[in-house]
Amino acid sequence: MKKRKEQKELSTVMTRRMLMLGAGQGVLGALLVGRLYQLQIAQSEGYRRLSDNNQFDRRLVQAPRGRILDRKGRLLAGNSEVFELRMLPSRISNHQAWLKRVSRLITLKPEDIEAILEKITEQPKFLEVTVKSNLTQRELSRLAVLSPVLEGASFQKSYKRIYPQGWMTAHVTGYVSPVNKRDIDGEPDLRYLPETRIGRTGIEHNMEPDLRGLFGFERVEVNARGKPVRVLRDQQANPGADAYLSLDVEAQSFATERLRRGRWQAVPVQMPEVQEALLENEELRAHVSMGDDLVLKDEKGRLVPPESGAVVVMDIYTGELKVMVSTPSFDPNLFSNRLSIRDWQRMNEHPRTPLLNRAISGLYPPGSTFKMVVLAAALEAGVITQKTRINCVGAFEFGDRNFHCWFERGHGLVDAEQSLERSCDIYYYQIALKTGINRIHDMARRLGLGDVSTLGLISEKEGIIPNRDWKLEKRGVVWTPGETVVAGIGQGFVLTTPLQLALMTARIANGRSAITPTLTTPQMTEASPSFPPLDVSPDIIRFLHKSMRKVMAGGLGTARKHDINQGMAGKTGTVQVKRITKEQREKGIIDNIDRPWKERDHALFVAFAPYKNPRYAISVIVEHGGSGSSAAAPIARDIMDFMLKSDGVSA
Amino acid sequence: MILGILQLLYRLPWLLLVSAAALVLIGTLALYSASEGAWSPWAERQMVRAAIGAMLLVVVAMMPTPWLHRLSYWGLAIAILVLVAVPFIGTGTGATRWIELGPFNFQPSEPAKLAVIIALARYLSGQTPEQVQSLVSYLPVILMLGIPFGLVLIQPDLGTSLMLLMGGLAVVFAAGVPRRFLVTGVLAAAASAPILWSQLYSYQKARIMTFLNPEADVLGVGYQITQSKIALGSGGLFGKGFLQGSQSQLNYLPEKQTDFVFTMIGEEFGFVGNLVVLLIYFAILVSVALTGLRCQHRFGRLLCMGNSFMLFLYIFVNVGMVTGLLPVVGAPLPLISYGGTAMLTVFLALGVVVNIALHTKLQDSDFY
Repeated sequence: MKKRKEQKELSTVMTRRMLMLGAGQGVLGALLVGRLYQLQIAQSEGYRRLSDNNQFDRRLVQAPRGRILDRKGRLLAGNSEVFELRMLPSRISNHQAWLKRVSRLITLKPEDIEAILEKITEQPKFLEVTVKSNLTQRELSRLAVLSPVLEGASFQKSYKRIYPQGWMTAHVTGYVSPVNKRDIDGEPDLRYLPETRIGRTGIEHNMEPDLRGLFGFERVEVNARGKPVRVLRDQQANPGADAYLSLDVEAQSFATERLRRGRWQAVPVQMPEVQEALLENEELRAHVSMGDDLVLKDEKGRLVPPESGAVVVMDIYTGELKVMVSTPSFDPNLFSNRLSIRDWQRMNEHPRTPLLNRAISGLYPPGSTFKMVVLAAALEAGVITQKTRINCVGAFEFGDRNFHCWFERGHGLVDAEQSLERSCDIYYYQIALKTGINRIHDMARRLGLGDVSTLGLISEKEGIIPNRDWKLEKRGVVWTPGETVVAGIGQGFVLTTPLQLALMTARIANGRSAITPTLTTPQMTEASPSFPPLDVSPDIIRFLHKSMRKVMAGGLGTARKHDINQGMAGKTGTVQVKRITKEQREKGIIDNIDRPWKERDHALFVAFAPYKNPRYAISVIVEHGGSGSSAAAPIARDIMDFMLKSDGVSA
Repeated sequence: MILGILQLLYRLPWLLLVSAAALVLIGTLALYSASEGAWSPWAERQMVRAAIGAMLLVVVAMMPTPWLHRLSYWGLAIAILVLVAVPFIGTGTGATRWIELGPFNFQPSEPAKLAVIIALARYLSGQTPEQVQSLVSYLPVILMLGIPFGLVLIQPDLGTSLMLLMGGLAVVFAAGVPRRFLVTGVLAAAASAPILWSQLYSYQKARIMTFLNPEADVLGVGYQITQSKIALGSGGLFGKGFLQGSQSQLNYLPEKQTDFVFTMIGEEFGFVGNLVVLLIYFAILVSVALTGLRCQHRFGRLLCMGNSFMLFLYIFVNVGMVTGLLPVVGAPLPLISYGGTAMLTVFLALGVVVNIALHTKLQDSDFY
C-alpha cells in the first residue's frame, strides 16, 4: 500500500518535473523568438545597411574629359586609356604591408607610398585610392598573377590627358593637373573624385565645367573575398563635351616654327660646336634641356636659342583666333600626372619663362604700332587734317628735354600719310601733344587696347593705356605733357599685349564693327556673333588703311621689302627697352646685335591682308629681336602668306 | 490484419512525422540555396541520408519496446568503446571527432548522446522510490554520464560534451532526483567552473570571450557571429527571397550549410521563415511531450523527456548561437543542418519516441 503510494508520488513528481522542463523550454523558446524579433524587425534597418556595405563596393567611374580640337577637328588635347591599380582601404587590414607587398611587383617609390597612405587617411574608407596609374604591360601581368590573393585590389581603366601637339599648342590648350587641397576646399565634392584632373590654364581652365564631364557611380557586388561578382551602374559616366577651337593647327605650327627661327640659321644640335657652346652658355643649356633641339646661329656667328615672342592671327570679321603662338613653350603632358620636381625646376628656372603666355600675358610697349591710334585720335579731334605737314629735323625740344626721331638726320617735311609710312616720331610727338592724352586714350580703348578681351583665359593682362585720371590715381601725381609726347610713339606708360595689338589691327581692318576675339568656333557659340559698331569715322579708317598700305608699298615704307602678292597693310614697331643716354647718343648708338640680348629692342609688326579685301589681322612680336622692319615684318609676311595660300587651297 | 494496420496508422504520432518531413524538406531547400542553387554537393546527399534515417526510424519504431530496454546498456557500452577508440582511429583537424567509415565520416559523439539518454532512462526507471531518494543509487548515473562526457570533452568538443551532460541531467531531473541533491550539484558545478575554465583550450576561451564581446574581433571568431547577425537582421520580416541572400550567396556567412543554416533561412525568408521553422520544432516537441505524458511506463516517459530535451537543446543552442545569444559551440540544427551523423541520430531518437507512442499500453512491470 505504501509502495503504491510512493509509486504514485514519484509519478506525480516526474510529471511535475516534465512540466517544469517544458515550461523552461517555453521560456527559452520565447527568448529566441524575442531575439529574432529584435534582430529581424526592430534593428533590421541597421543590419540591412551593414549587409549592403558587405555586398557592394562603391566605385567612381571616371568620365573621359572632353577633347580639344582645332577648327578642322585635329586633336589638341585628348585622352589615352591607361590601366591603373586601385586599392579599397576598407577591405585591407594593414595598408602599409599591402603596399609593401605590391611594391615588390611594381615600382613604387617611398614618397609615392607615403602619398597614398596620406590619401587613405584623408578620404572615406569605402572609396578607392589609386596606387599607380599608367601601368606597364609587364606590371599588369605581374599583378594579374597575384590578384586572386591581393585583397581589396582592383584594376580600372582610366584616362590620361595627352596633348599630341605638345608644346606647340600648350599656351592655347593649357594643362591639367590632379586635384589638390585648394580645389577640394572650393568644391568639396572633389573629395570623392580624387582622380579628377583640373584645367589650370588655357582652354583647359576656361572651359573646365564643359570639359570635365560627370563621373559615373557604380556599385560592385563583391563576395567575402573582395572578388567582384556583378556590377550595377547607378549613374553612367557622362563624358565631357568636346571643345572646337578656331585655331588652325597647321598655321599654328607654321607660325611657331617661323617665329622661332627668326632671321637666323638653324644648326644641328649634335654639332660639336653646339655641344661646346652648351657647356658655357647657360641660357642655351636651359633651352636645350627642355627637350628642344632647335639651335640658331645669328649673323655674328653666335649660337643662340630660338626667338622668344608671340604671334596672333585673327579673323577680322569673326574675331576668331587662327594662330596664337607664344615662345618658348612647355610640354603640357608633363603636368597630366604628378609633375616631377626636376621638370618643374627646369620650367621655373628657364631664363625666358616658358610658362608665360606672351600672347595674352606678355606686356610690351606698342611702340610705333601705336601710331595708328594717335593719328586716328588727332584726325578725329581735328587738331590736324590729312594734309597737315610737320617738319622733322631729327629731334624735338620740349620742356627741358630733347625728343629724338629714330631717323636721326630727320625726315624733313612729312604729311600725315608719310608720317606713318616712314614712322616719323617727330610728327607723332607733336600731334600727340595737340590731341592730348585723354583723346588718345579714348581712341586706344575703342580700338581694343587697355582691357582684357572676351577670351576669358586666365592670366590675361589688361595692359596700360594711360590718361590723366589714371596717372593721378595710380601714381598720385598729375600728368605732364612730356608724358603725352612719349605716349605719341607708344612708349612711356603705354603697355599692350600681342593679342590687343592684333585686335587693334583687326578693328582698323574691319572698320565698322568693334569685333572681339574668340578661340571657339560658332559650333560652340550659338549664332554668329554680332558686334557693336566701332564708332570711328570711315574717312579716318580709309586714311589709316591707305597709310598702312604705304608702309608696305611706299617707296620709303619701313616694311617695303616685306609685302605679299595679295597686298598687305601694316606697321612696324621697334621698342626701346633701355633708355639711351645723352653720352651714348653722342658716341653713336650701338647696334642692337652688339648689345646684350636683354638690352636689345623689341621688334613688333602688325598688319592686315589682303589689302583690298581684308581677312586676317596679325601681330608679331620678337622679344629683343631688333627692329620691327627687319625682325618682325618678315615673319608676319611669311605667316600671312601661308594663311592666304592655305585658304586658297581649301577654297 | 487490415484492422491492425489501421490501428497502427491511428496510433502513429502524425504531427511528429509530418513536422519531421517538413523540416527535412526545408533543410533540403536551404542546402540547395547554400550551394548557390545546386543539388550538389549538399542537398542531394542530405536527401539520401534522410531516406536512410526514415528507414532507421521505422525499424526502431517497430521493434518491441522491451528490446529497446534490453539493448540500452549495450548501446551505451558500444558508444563508450567507440569514443575511447576515436583518439586512436579518428580524424579531424585540431580536434579528433570523426571516424572514417568508407565514404562516410561518422561522429560518435552524436549517437553517444542518445545512448546515454536511453541507458539513463532504463536505469532510473528501474529504481524504486526509496532508491530514488538514496544518494548511493546515483553512483552508476555519475559513471554513465561522466564517462561519455569526459571522453567527448577531451576530443576536445566542449559544446557536444556539455549538451550530452545537460541532456543526461534532464533525464535525471525528470526521474525525480531529490531537491537536496540538485542544490548540491549546482553548487559543486559552480565551484568547479574556474577549474574547468583553466582546462579549456585557447580557442574555446577565445570563443567564449568573443561571445561576450563579438565586435572586438570582427575578422576573427567574432566575424561569424557578426556576419550571422547582419544576415538575419538584413532579412527583415519576409527575407530577401529564395537564393537572394547576399550574405549567404556571397560567402560572407560562414558554415551556412551546417551550423549557420538557420541564419541563411532567416536571410532569405526573414522573421516569418524563421518563425515557421521554430513552430515546426515546437510541434515536434509538443508531440514528443504528449507521447511522454500519455505513456504509462517510466522508461518511456523518461525516454520521451530525454529526447525532447535533447532536441530542444540542439535547437536552442544552435539558434542562440547564430543570433549571438550564446557562444559559438558548433551545434547543428536538427534535421536541417548538413551532417549525416546528427541527422541519423535525430531520426533514431524520433524512432524511439514513435516506438513509445505505438506501445503506450505497456506497464513498468512488462520490462522485467
